[in-house]
Amino acid sequence: MVNLKINGRDIQAEPSWTVLQAAQHAGITIPTLCNHKDLSPTGACRMCLVSVKGARGLTTSCTTPVAEGMEVVTENQELAKSRRSVLKLLLSVYHDAGYTNNDADNELFRWARFYELDPQALMSPTPRYPVDQDPNPFVFVDLNKCILCTRCVRACAEIQGRFVWGISERGFESHLAAGMDQNMLDARCESCGACVAYCPTGALALKPTVAVPPAEKKVATTCSYCGVGCQFDLNVLDDQVIRVTSNPEAPVNGMHLCVKGRFGFSYVHHTDRLTKPMVREYLLKGEPRPSSKERGAWVETDWDTALDLAAQKLASTRDKYGPDSVGVLSSAKCTNEENYLMNKFARQVIGTNNIDHCARLCHASTVAGLATALGSGAMTNSMKDIAEYANSMLVIGSNTTEQHPVFGSKIRQAVLRRNVKLIVADPRQIDLCEFATLHLQQKPGTDIPLINGLMNIILEKGYVNTAFVEERTENFDVLVENLKLYPPEKVSKITGVPVDQLYQAVEIIVQNAPMAVFWAMGITQHTTGVHNVFALADLQMMLGNFGIPGGGVNPLRGQNNVQGACDMGCLVNVYPGYQAVTAEASRRKFEEAWGTNLSDKIGKTVTEIIPGVLEGTTKALYVLGENPAMTDPDSNHIHHCLEELDFFVLQDIFPTESSVYADILLPGVSFVEKTGTFTNTERRVQMVRQAISPRGEARQDWQITSDIARRVIALGGRRIYPTPWSGWNYSNSAEIMAEVAALTPSYGGISHQRLDTEGSLCWPCPTAEHPGTPILHIGKFTRGKGNFIPAIHLDPSELPDEEYPIMLTTGRVIYHWHSGEMTRRVKELMEVYGQALIEVSPADAYKLGLNGELTKVKVTSRRGSITAQAWVTDRVPEGLIYGNFHFPENNINYLTKAALDPIAKIPEFKVSAVKVEAVA
Amino acid sequence: MAEQKFAENEVVELVTKIVTSIGTTRGDLIPILQKVTNELGYISQEAIQQISVLLKLPTKEITSVATFYRMLSTKPHGRHIVQFCESAPCHIAGGREVLSALKEALQLEPGETSADNKWTFYTTSCLGICGVGPVILIDTEIHGNVTPDQIPSILGRYE
Repeated sequence: MVNLKINGRDIQAEPSWTVLQAAQHAGITIPTLCNHKDLSPTGACRMCLVSVKGARGLTTSCTTPVAEGMEVVTENQELAKSRRSVLKLLLSVYHDAGYTNNDADNELFRWARFYELDPQALMSPTPRYPVDQDPNPFVFVDLNKCILCTRCVRACAEIQGRFVWGISERGFESHLAAGMDQNMLDARCESCGACVAYCPTGALALKPTVAVPPAEKKVATTCSYCGVGCQFDLNVLDDQVIRVTSNPEAPVNGMHLCVKGRFGFSYVHHTDRLTKPMVREYLLKGEPRPSSKERGAWVETDWDTALDLAAQKLASTRDKYGPDSVGVLSSAKCTNEENYLMNKFARQVIGTNNIDHCARLCHASTVAGLATALGSGAMTNSMKDIAEYANSMLVIGSNTTEQHPVFGSKIRQAVLRRNVKLIVADPRQIDLCEFATLHLQQKPGTDIPLINGLMNIILEKGYVNTAFVEERTENFDVLVENLKLYPPEKVSKITGVPVDQLYQAVEIIVQNAPMAVFWAMGITQHTTGVHNVFALADLQMMLGNFGIPGGGVNPLRGQNNVQGACDMGCLVNVYPGYQAVTAEASRRKFEEAWGTNLSDKIGKTVTEIIPGVLEGTTKALYVLGENPAMTDPDSNHIHHCLEELDFFVLQDIFPTESSVYADILLPGVSFVEKTGTFTNTERRVQMVRQAISPRGEARQDWQITSDIARRVIALGGRRIYPTPWSGWNYSNSAEIMAEVAALTPSYGGISHQRLDTEGSLCWPCPTAEHPGTPILHIGKFTRGKGNFIPAIHLDPSELPDEEYPIMLTTGRVIYHWHSGEMTRRVKELMEVYGQALIEVSPADAYKLGLNGELTKVKVTSRRGSITAQAWVTDRVPEGLIYGNFHFPENNINYLTKAALDPIAKIPEFKVSAVKVEAVA
Repeated sequence: MAEQKFAENEVVELVTKIVTSIGTTRGDLIPILQKVTNELGYISQEAIQQISVLLKLPTKEITSVATFYRMLSTKPHGRHIVQFCESAPCHIAGGREVLSALKEALQLEPGETSADNKWTFYTTSCLGICGVGPVILIDTEIHGNVTPDQIPSILGRYE
C-alpha cells in the first residue's frame, strides 16, 4: 500500500491507483468530465486538476499515479478558479439549440452550477453544426453539445471494440467524426449505444426517446433477448417503458448493452399485443371444426370462457386418447417460475413427459453430449472469467458478435487488451475473424474431422496433458484408437482446411494455455450434433483445460432463459435439476411431491410432437411463447401438421405466425410486466422485475398456467392427492421459486429474496448459505471421471449434388431475434434491417448473373422455395449461401430439412442443398 | 501535383504499392499518408479504406491523422497549392498587403479551390524562414520577400 495525504487526510492506496482513484476510494469528490471508471484515463478536460506539493503547476489527478508521501489538495481558491476557467472555455463552444432533451444528466451543467456559473448565460449563442446530423435511427448526434471529452471515442474502442468514433481536424475545427467523417452506420457502427451511455453532455442521446420527459421510476431487470443475461434499468413513465438506460451494477455487462437490449424494447407497447383472450367461433358454439384446414373466425371472450374451454379440451383429449396424445411446449423466453409450472402441468396434470421447448432446436446436442461426457450439460466457466483468464480461445460455430453481442465485445477486448490468441473455426468469415490469429474455414458439417484432426496432431506432438488424463478421466485409449482415423492430410481433404493451419492451430492452443472453447448452433444443429460436442469435450480433457479459470467447454445458450427452461425440467427426459424421469428414485420423489403417479416413459420432443400429428399420436398442444410455424425446419410440413392438429392452445403476447393454427389464444405478458428469474448461459440466476402493469386484460403467464391446471384437475380423470407441492394456488412467483428450490438440489439455495440482496447466483447453489458455483468440475467432474467418447464423422444428411449444387447454412443477424415477432415490431430495428437478406459470395453472384437489375435470389430445396434480396458479400465462400428465419415471407426454414441427430433429436438446420437463381 | 482521376482499383493498387514500400506499423502511417497525398493529389476514402485493411487500423484513426496535418489532405486539390504564411514575422514585414493581393489575384478565400481546378489556396502557420518574410509556398517552391506587385508574375510562372 502507498501512503499519501489528500486534503490533510492520511490515505492508503493501491500502488496501481491514480490520485483520482485514491480520492474516490476515500470518498473525496474531484470534479471530472472526460474521466470514467470504465474507460482509460486521458486527461483531456482539465477539470480534475489538483495541487500536488512540490509539483510544478497543477496536476491531472486522473492520469497521475499515487506515490509514497504525496500531499494532494483537491479544492482551494486557485483550483476553483482554474476549474471555472475550464468550464467557461467548454461552455463557450457549447450551444443548446433549445429542443427538449431529457435523456442525459448533463455533467457539464452540473459542475458549472457547482462552481456558481450560469451555463445558459455562458454558452455559445450560435450553433456550429446541424442538430441531429446523423441518420442512425438509434443515436441522436448534436455536436453543438460536444466538449471533445472523447468518452464516446474510448467507449466505442474500449467497450464495444468497433472504433467508429474519432476526432477529425484540429484546433477550433476539431470535431467528433464517425469513421471517415461518414454516417455512423457507414462507419460500421453496430448501434450498441455505448457512446450514448458514456456521453456527459447530451451530445449523443437515445434518438427514439430524445424528447420524452424524464422517467418517474427506474426498475432494474434482466434483458429478454439472448443468453448473456445483461441487466439494465427500465425507465417508466405513466405505466409505459419509455427508455432503457445502463445500470452500472449489472453483474454481467456493467454499462454495456447491445442494440437490441438498449433499443429493442418498444415491441412491448406495439398495437399488435394480444390484450383479450380469443377463441374460435366453432368452440363457443360447441360445433365441430369447419374443416380439417379451417378453424373459422376468432371471437374475443372473457377469461373464464377461454380457460374453461382450454381445460375441457385438454382434459377430454387426455381422457380419450391418453396423456401422451397431448404435447406441452414451454418457452425459453419465459421465467424459470413459468417454465417450472409448464413442466409440472405436463407431468402432474396431464401425466405425460411430452414437455419440451426450443432448446431442442438449439443446444439439445450440447446438453446430451456434455451430460454423457462430464455429467453436466451446462457452460463450465463464466464469461468474465474467460475474458480475464483465457490465454487462447477457440470459437467454433458461434457468430458471437451478432448472437451474443455483449460477450462478443468482451472477446474483442480480451484480444485487444490481453493479446489473447483467438482461433475462429467457421465456414463463414464472421466479424470475429478480424480479431483472430487464425481463421479455420471448415466446410459446413465437418467439425468432427476438424477437431479430431487437431487431437491427432496433439497426440503426435506429445502435447497431451497426461497427468490430467490419468487422474481425472477414463477411456482415453478408446479415443486414441478413433483418432488414428483422422490424420492431418485426410482431415484437410474433408474439411478444406490446409494442413499447416491445423498444425498452427494446435501450436496456438497448446502454447497459450489455458484455452477456452465456445460454441453455439454451428456445432449443435447437425445430425452429428452430439458427436460434435463429444469431440470438443475430448479436446479440452486431453489438454486438461477443465476446472480452471479461463478454460472449459462453453456452449453459448441462445435464448435469455433457455438454460433455465432446461433446468426447470422442460425436457422430455428430466424433472427440474436434470433428475431423470427414468430413475426410480427421482420419479418417486416427484410423485410424492406432486401427489400423483408420473409417467416413466421418456416423452416426445418438439421435433417429434408436431410431426406426430400426421401419425395420429399428437392430438392436442398447449404452447407457451413458442413459434414453431417459423422456427422449426421444413416449414411447409410443419404448417401442414399444425393445420391437421385437433386442438391447439397458444399463450403468447402477439398473434404470431403460429397463431393462425391455434384454437384458443391466451394473452400473456412481456418481460417488463412480470417478476421472476432468468438463468443466463453461465448458469447465473438473475431477477426479472415487473415495471408496468399487464397490457389490456393480459395476465401473468404463471397465473394462466395455474388457472388451466386447476380447471383440468377439477374435471377429474386423474387422481391428485394433496401434498405440500401438489397445489396450484400460488399468490406470487416467489412462492413458485420456493417450490423449485425445495425440489431442485442445484437451485436449493436460490430465492427471490437472496437474488434481491445478492444480485445474482450461479447454480449449483444447494443451500441458502452457498455462494454459488461460477466454475464447474473443479477437482472432479460432476460424473466422477471425465468420459472420453470418440466422435465419429458422418456426412450431413443432405449434400450438394447436380440438381441442388449450392450448400445453404442458416442463422440469425444482430438486429433481429429468432422468428422476429419482437424485433419486427421495433421500428428502428426495421429501419436498419427491414427484410431478409441472403448472403451470396461474389463468385457465385457473378455466376448467377446478379447485377443492378437482378438483385434477388430464388432459392429452392427439395422442400420448398423462397425469394429474397441477395447480399453479395465475402462473408460466405463460393458454393455456400446463408439465410435467416426472421421474416415470415422468406423464412429460410421453408428450405431446411428435418433430419435429426439420433440422440438429441435436434434438426440439421446448418446444412441443406439448394439451387439458386437470380431474379428481378 | 497532376490533375488526375483514379479509378477505385487503381487507388487500391497504388496504395498497396506505397504501403509495401514503406511498411505496415503504426509509425509508418504518416509517411504513407504523405506519399498518398503526393501521388494521388489527396487521401481519398478508398485510399483510407485500403490503408485501414493493410495496417489493421480503424478508418477513424487514419482520418484523425489525415485531417490533423496541413501537409496531408483528404479533399481534392487544384493543380497547384498556394500557401501563405500568416505568422507574426511575415505579418510585420507586410504580409497583410500580400494576402490581399493574393486573394485578389486568385479570387479565392483560404481553403478554396478555383473553378478551373488550377489553384487551391491555404493560409499556413510559420514555415520557418522568417528572415525572408513575407513568404509564399507554391507546391514545394518557396517565394521570399514577396511584395504585392510581384504576385501576378509569381503566379504567372505556373501552368
